[in-house]
Amino acid sequence: MPEITPRAEYQEELANLEASALGGLDLVNAALERTLEAIEHTDVELAQIVIADDDRIDGRYLEVHQSLITLLATQSPVATDLRLISALLHVLKNIERMGDQCVNICKMIPLSGNEPPADEEMVKLILSMGRQTRTLILQSKRAFAERDIEMARDLVRQDDVVDNLNRECFRLALAIGDDADKREWAMTMLLAARAVERIGDNAVDIGEQVAFVVTGLFREFEDASHPAQ
Amino acid sequence: MERKEDDMPGAAEKQKQAAESGAEKVTATAPVAAPASSAVKAKTIEVQGVNLYYGDFHAVENVTMTIQPNKVTALIGSSGCGKTTFLRSLNRMHELTPEATVKGTITLDGEDMYGPNVDPVHVRRLVGMVFQQPNPFPTMSIYDNVASGLNLTSSRVKKSQKDAIVERSLRGANLWEEVKDRLDKPGLGLSGGQQQRLCIARAIAVEPEVLLMDEPCSALDPVATLAIEDLIGELKSRYTIAIVTHNMQQAARASDFTAFFNLEESGRPGRLVEVDKTDTIFTNPTQKATEDYVSGRFG
Repeated sequence: MPEITPRAEYQEELANLEASALGGLDLVNAALERTLEAIEHTDVELAQIVIADDDRIDGRYLEVHQSLITLLATQSPVATDLRLISALLHVLKNIERMGDQCVNICKMIPLSGNEPPADEEMVKLILSMGRQTRTLILQSKRAFAERDIEMARDLVRQDDVVDNLNRECFRLALAIGDDADKREWAMTMLLAARAVERIGDNAVDIGEQVAFVVTGLFREFEDASHPAQ
Repeated sequence: MERKEDDMPGAAEKQKQAAESGAEKVTATAPVAAPASSAVKAKTIEVQGVNLYYGDFHAVENVTMTIQPNKVTALIGSSGCGKTTFLRSLNRMHELTPEATVKGTITLDGEDMYGPNVDPVHVRRLVGMVFQQPNPFPTMSIYDNVASGLNLTSSRVKKSQKDAIVERSLRGANLWEEVKDRLDKPGLGLSGGQQQRLCIARAIAVEPEVLLMDEPCSALDPVATLAIEDLIGELKSRYTIAIVTHNMQQAARASDFTAFFNLEESGRPGRLVEVDKTDTIFTNPTQKATEDYVSGRFG
């Protein structure tokens, strides 16, 4: 039998890069937590911190991305390793987009004005969406780390909750009345809700990458042309 | 062993097809000059339950696979797994080793290569071999190297016909432009990569059906290696090709199918673990042993 000589350094490097990439989801989770707090208290300063801190998420993205490209160039990964690296490149992009959505929301907070919110109910809905989305982020991380396809598929179900809350926000925005300031506020909050909803979609995309790493088949769990059963 | 039936038609089916088409008669007439580039339907090798021995030593156990026509099949696996032994059984070179024996069936388009009335020399003309070290005949010119097989397989080939075959073979091996003005110079005066292409020209001069290559690039630099790989890609339009390689990137780059051979432990026979499309083997192999090998987790 041939001597087993695991490529220890390469395997360790790949494992570290996976941990580092998935650690980006913790950064996103923290950014979203602060973003929700900034929405709740119309806290412009906290929103500025979230915007500034996005550099850390982008930095993680660039750093791990570069290291993965180096591994591709130097180690010729194949089979599961190759699928993992391909998936991580996708996941990094998802993480970067999630961070940007937090920034998008935080940029809107000064626009929502210093007045008390025009509709408390709508703020509550967005905060609910945000909490649910944070669950999705952590679940996508765990599903990836544990290569758990069932947990990954469950993200679709969890994301439906976010989508339904988003539609509810839309209904409230339509019903907010004719006052121009209130309507502007509602439109701004609707954009924030939409950004939160997109973060959930990115978590589902990460789940699809879990399925790819495990099975070698890449299929979208659902999209507009073929909704989930 | 795992194999995908959709991609690998079974031996019986192939034999039936061969029988229906009236299994081609093989005669050792002088090959006719044909343009090297035109596509030709090559022959299929069916391997059924093949076991290979060196005396009492069981070297390769129970291999069943199809080597597809006009495709490149790479044989990979660590040293001692029997892939070269297996390759050598495909043109009856294995039996040249004293006490080496073959059990099982190997057919070329339905014709039993090991049939009682089959001349092994004839099989070796139909199934050419290119070796690891370029081995042009040292005392012969470039021209004579290419023509050497013709002199052996058929007694009378006209000079003009021979000229045409030499040119076609050298063109087929992507060597013509480099040597056309010095055909009378010694083959050993060429670079390593050119020598290997000369050996390929010599192999295809006798119009084989199949080309076997045993690590044809391991003695070559990267540029010469890529030239040979490009050539392999062109040659498959006319020939069935099987290549043993230790270079997994070469298998990934140059082959359509990959067969992974493994040795479970020293002293045991080598076995075919998995054969599948090359992209499947390198992105999503079925067997863990294959995954470990192509990922470099074995020495």
